[in-house]
Amino acid sequence: MSEKQYGHEIKTGLSRRSFLKGCAIAAATLGLSPEVVPRMVEAAMSPKRPPVVWLHFQECTGCTEALLRSARPDIATLILDLISLDYHETVMAAAGEQAEQNLHEAINDNAGKFICVVEGAIPTKDGGIYCKIGGKTAMEILDDVAHKSKAVIAIGTCGAFGGVQAAKPNPTGAVGVQDLIKDRPIINVPGCPPNPANFLATVVQILTYGRPPELDELGRPKFAYGRKIHDQCERRSHFDEGRFVEQFGDPGHKKAYCLYKMGCKGPVTYSNCSVERFCNIGAWPVGSGHGCIGCTEPGFWDTMMPIYQHLPGIYIPVGGGIREQAEKMGKFAVGGAAAVIAAHAAAGIGKKIFSIKCSSGEDKKDKDE
Amino acid sequence: MVRKEPRLYYRVFVWSGTLRLFHWTLAFSTFILILTGIYIHYPPITTKWAEFKPQYIMATLRYWHFTAGYFFICALLVRFYLFFAGNRYERPTDFLPINKRNLKSLVYNIKFYLYLTDEHECRMGHTILAGTIYFILFICGLIMGLTGLYLLYPETPMIAKIGHELFGTPQQARLVHYTLNWFFIFFIMVHLYIAIWNDFNAPDAIISGAFSGSKMMPADLECPIEELEKIPFEK
Repeated sequence: MSEKQYGHEIKTGLSRRSFLKGCAIAAATLGLSPEVVPRMVEAAMSPKRPPVVWLHFQECTGCTEALLRSARPDIATLILDLISLDYHETVMAAAGEQAEQNLHEAINDNAGKFICVVEGAIPTKDGGIYCKIGGKTAMEILDDVAHKSKAVIAIGTCGAFGGVQAAKPNPTGAVGVQDLIKDRPIINVPGCPPNPANFLATVVQILTYGRPPELDELGRPKFAYGRKIHDQCERRSHFDEGRFVEQFGDPGHKKAYCLYKMGCKGPVTYSNCSVERFCNIGAWPVGSGHGCIGCTEPGFWDTMMPIYQHLPGIYIPVGGGIREQAEKMGKFAVGGAAAVIAAHAAAGIGKKIFSIKCSSGEDKKDKDE
Repeated sequence: MVRKEPRLYYRVFVWSGTLRLFHWTLAFSTFILILTGIYIHYPPITTKWAEFKPQYIMATLRYWHFTAGYFFICALLVRFYLFFAGNRYERPTDFLPINKRNLKSLVYNIKFYLYLTDEHECRMGHTILAGTIYFILFICGLIMGLTGLYLLYPETPMIAKIGHELFGTPQQARLVHYTLNWFFIFFIMVHLYIAIWNDFNAPDAIISGAFSGSKMMPADLECPIEELEKIPFEK
């Protein structure tokens, strides 16, 4: 962090104004009325801040980076001031033995009270040996920490659904938190990375009301993942009108037409990207001229690829597992049917001609006799 | 018992009005669903035209697709009702290969279609081969209806729950919905061909039966209809 950019916050600390602003943003993200803001402020300023233990497993630290580099620096600061972040491998100063001791103390002193945030997938194959920290496997650490926590927040698609590590053929047997932990409330905040505002709003909700927000079938908070991107997209009118980008850089692309034909996964992806946006400058993938890749959906590396086509390839079991498109397969079936029909009709006509010849031959024979 | 052409036929009533209503509703809705569906899947270059004259084309075609989809689902519900409440030729026991007589008939149909025999089976209801394919089509139609509803109302809690249990994410449902579409195209091609082929090769007049509900049966067979079905004849 350069001092030029973040110096203001570092020097002055969090101002009350920016703190209130952060609470108001969280309330807006949650879709709550401004009247709850004072209650939120009260909860957030309470000396009994909830301890948070942040675990890193198979991941790229992108979710943490997104959170830290959020263009609303007061949110990043708020996260650090709002909650008592007792253990976070990227941010904490401690290392080695000291770090391990911190974790041990944090989970034992606050057993049943802290929030466990999990970033990254957990490998389960071969006893989970593919991710070890301090000599313990990720499975052991998660088992130990999550069962002492009050609730688990799985941040990012890896923590929630396994992410890229769980993509076929999934060599390490990676899974999301919800596949291992069954007896604790789990809130999934997927995305690659997720919008920091959604994570913050989830934490504030737990803080203010003492319970997780309303979740959908996949355990994602409904306030953020309840609506389709396509339904709230700024380019939706072009879709309805039939105006599409035919290829990147064409006149339609320059006029910001719909990216449907470029394989945008907005019609099947649930997130508030088009509303909440990123980095405080109104930027988001479709706004920048690239289709949505569907990163908030489970198994998106398997079901949403290829990025620039609507539908995934299909493995046809015959022919040595040739990867074929659904479309090619369909056209092949229809072409095959046409060929078979033609052959069938030709065989019928052939048979008729043959039988006429035969019968006329027989007639001749009869006459001769 | 083998009879020679020419012979007299009498008209027997087979298909109830409800079944014919189902058939044509399904036919027209499938036709519209396939055409609009292919546009929705991959809109051909309409961009220039849409710039020239705004016409709301994708929204309109989607509207037709959804409307036709509702007709399609209603038609399937009617057929489901007829499985239990239809006349004896409309019930699954008559056209699925579930007993010895029907299995025998299935082998017979296949031989007939492969030109291995000229003996056409004068059967009152569906032939077993057709009945089996229609039943598979019915199941595919149900899957199409369910994936379609899931894609149209993914945020309605009950539909979202059922859809998620059956198909997974909307993207996976979309793949199923799209891939099965090719089965319907395939079916229509074969169905039309076989119907026309039958009009050439068999005396039942099944195409006009799709409108009138009747079939032509040899009049010189003075036996009960159940027996009549079994009797082959030669040209």
